[in-house]
Amino acid sequence: MNSRSCPGLVLLLSLLVQIFPAVSANAQNLPRTESGMPDLQGIWMVGNSAFANIEDHGARYGLPAGLGVVEGGALPYRPEALVQRDANFASRAVSDPYNRCFFPGVPRIMYLDFPFQIFQTDENVAITFEWNQVFRLIYTNGEPALYDGIESWMGNSRGRWEGDELIVTVKDFNDRSWLDSSGNFHSTAMQLTERYRMLDADTIEYEVTVEDPEVFTRPWVMRMNLHRQTDRERLLEYQCQAELSELNGDFERDERTWYPAPPQPGIAAFDADAVLDLPLPEPTGEIRRLPDGTPDISGYFSARSGGANYGLEKKVGGGGAPPTQGVIIDPPEVILPYQDWARVEADDRYLPHRGYDDPTAHCFVAGVPRSHYVPSPFHILQVDGFVVVLHERMSWRHIDMNRSQHLVDNIRLWMGDSIGHWEGDTLVVRSSNFNGKTWLNEAGDVLTHAQSVVETFTPVSDTEIIYRATVSDPLAYTRPWTIEMPFIRADDDELLEVACLEDNNDLQHLRDVRDEYRAAQAQEN
Amino acid sequence: MKKTAASIFAICCLLSGKAALAHHSFSAEYDADIPVEIVGKVTEMKWSNPHGWIYLDVEDENGNVVNWAMETSAANSLIRRGWRKADLPPGTVLVINGWQARSGPGTGNIRSVTFEDGTRLFAGSGPSGSED
Repeated sequence: MNSRSCPGLVLLLSLLVQIFPAVSANAQNLPRTESGMPDLQGIWMVGNSAFANIEDHGARYGLPAGLGVVEGGALPYRPEALVQRDANFASRAVSDPYNRCFFPGVPRIMYLDFPFQIFQTDENVAITFEWNQVFRLIYTNGEPALYDGIESWMGNSRGRWEGDELIVTVKDFNDRSWLDSSGNFHSTAMQLTERYRMLDADTIEYEVTVEDPEVFTRPWVMRMNLHRQTDRERLLEYQCQAELSELNGDFERDERTWYPAPPQPGIAAFDADAVLDLPLPEPTGEIRRLPDGTPDISGYFSARSGGANYGLEKKVGGGGAPPTQGVIIDPPEVILPYQDWARVEADDRYLPHRGYDDPTAHCFVAGVPRSHYVPSPFHILQVDGFVVVLHERMSWRHIDMNRSQHLVDNIRLWMGDSIGHWEGDTLVVRSSNFNGKTWLNEAGDVLTHAQSVVETFTPVSDTEIIYRATVSDPLAYTRPWTIEMPFIRADDDELLEVACLEDNNDLQHLRDVRDEYRAAQAQEN
Repeated sequence: MKKTAASIFAICCLLSGKAALAHHSFSAEYDADIPVEIVGKVTEMKWSNPHGWIYLDVEDENGNVVNWAMETSAANSLIRRGWRKADLPPGTVLVINGWQARSGPGTGNIRSVTFEDGTRLFAGSGPSGSED
């Protein structure tokens, strides 16, 4: 701008800056998406003590002291609700659902002492949390909720932009989650209005209005800042359920598969890129593309897996086991090229007394590639730098499109560390750093921490992706092997919530079967 | 009469090959060699994942009432088939075919559910094969 050519405008602007200094300075400096919205993407964390208590509070065991985040001080409880809150506080060690690794609910998930990452497209804002790999998928496309009135722990989130502010309404809650670790609670009538206002590139003001006439006498507001985690390169994992189970002796270490394992001399890595030697699937129709020409593989998908969750090899079924179609395309014999010990182990896991050992029976995350063929759908988002997969069976994968190096070897994850790139119209993803705790399916097919995976996602039409995964695990197999299955897109469906652990009645039954077997074995000996 | 209707529906559901949103091995928990058919009044529906549960009061030949827990597929699968919580209020009489748990009577896995008038409700989470 030339001040001599337009002095009036310059004067007006300088006046405006004096009147609204913060607004104008910030609005100019905010990072923005291509659509012009503030770009909320990145890793964030609150870092206050609201997770302990959202009201002013002194310290308690495990709970740091802190100032409240509720506007006006105390929460406006109805008298009988206040009695309930105090009872919750007194019994919090056993009655806080968070202590059992149940879903924290919204808004509590937003101010846990764990980081989370925001991904943003024109259709959705997704928030993935390090805590137990929970996610929120917020629809910002203006569509009404498909599954209205279904109660859940995390509620149903619909968002819209008003100027530079993201406003999210959340409803359809159950009454089982708490608002903090001090027993503050809500009913199924709770409705939230969240406001995300970017103050500068590294700060988002997060405001929540809580309306719950069954518990509170009036709506109330809490407010806090989210801080960009500039010293965290990526989210890792905190598998609350699995860690608690292991601590309790309820999830037993397997020396043959878990990391770190005893040294295995003479084990050479396979060529994990074998999948790329196979001819790629040919398109059968037009595929969707992003404005820059990259294939658009975003949206709601489910695998047509032929029962892969019950077995990767073809089986006729029977005796309570379902038939499986067989998804192995290499080796040509279409069976898993097991080493002897691993075939013996897989056969043993197939028996009823090992049903308890399947990590997904405990509601732990399914790992890779199983997360794609557990019988639950998933939603893919494509943003600059990431392909993100949100699995309805509550886990996520961040496929990093920019990184070239995997994590250091001693960081091991349930879902592994995934790096992707496009080769033509195929997304190629290499994953390593697995922990060796997952099974390939209910039949008990074996993976170890030496596992690495190369996956290809090839869209072949508007509605279909051909998915392949080549698994290289030199501790359990004699060579790499590859599975293939189609993923089918459905534009008219949405993800729901799977609160697996919270109502998992099966686990006790499975444990009873195992314990009965162990007792019989002990008697025989 | 009621039994006959239930059996017909059991066969139709088995052939439809739906169901199996399992998250654990069916054979570990249930015995495919012990099919059961129970008639009872719903006391509660647990609308949950990874599996829902229908609890029913079932009267035996001696007039004793036993509360059975029958496992359905995941709540999400039922929701996608169009079912909602209000569709199964307490007191509803149901005929359920399924398989008994290895732990014995009182628990089972659902193959088919029919109302008294023979209307089919939904398939369960049993070993019938392919997933949704």
